Amino acid sequence: MLYIIIIFIIILTLFLRFILGVEARTLLTFYLLGLIIFLFSFTVAEMPPFGSPDNPAFNEVPRRYLESGVTETGAVNIISSVIIDYRAFDTLGEATVLFVAIAAVIATLKSH
Amino acid sequence: MRITSRLVAPFIQIYGIYVILHGHLSPGGGFSGGAIFGASLVLIALSFNLEAGVKQISHQTASILESGGAFGYVLTGLVAIVLGGNYLANRAAGFPMGQAGQLFSGGAILIITVFVGIKVASTIVTLFYNIIEGEK
Repeated sequence: MLYIIIIFIIILTLFLRFILGVEARTLLTFYLLGLIIFLFSFTVAEMPPFGSPDNPAFNEVPRRYLESGVTETGAVNIISSVIIDYRAFDTLGEATVLFVAIAAVIATLKSH
Repeated sequence: MRITSRLVAPFIQIYGIYVILHGHLSPGGGFSGGAIFGASLVLIALSFNLEAGVKQISHQTASILESGGAFGYVLTGLVAIVLGGNYLANRAAGFPMGQAGQLFSGGAILIITVFVGIKVASTIVTLFYNIIEGEK
């Protein structure tokens, strides 16, 4: 199977390069893009199924949030308790990103 | 278009305030509620003209609200230190927790959500006005 793919790629390269006259840079770009697409598809195919309780993301951290989040933060919405209580410093960074963005826009558009 | 947006805008604003204030009870929060509130002001500026939009909330007010939102967020974190917790601590710093499920519960979460909502709404409005005005 691997040999067939390699022979196919070689024949395709020779055909495109010498009969159709495609430049070597363009060919290299297409092959690299194809390799990236292959690797990404392979990664997605190997990912654990969505929502399965055996996923590695379901460890002791979300269990702690789900079990004692309401008593620890007083918020019924678990997402809100995570982003504003447990991960409040991260949300401060997000707000800083907004602040820097607006400062950059004003500095760019209002410069005289 | 103008009549419709004039009718719809107050309801959008009330819904935005509702989403901000109920950020710890229902889906939503400061970011989405602020985006809804800012979208209503953008709708007014789009359906009338820019002067009518600027009359609703001037550049000065928008930038003061913008900086005030960020400052209030940081200040809430510092208040937690003064009360004897870590930076941005909630229960450990002794914010009033209330009954879980009520509107005034969650301690610092409600305060921070309101500040984030103010900040996001004024960010959207300021961004829109500045891009529309262009280089003047």
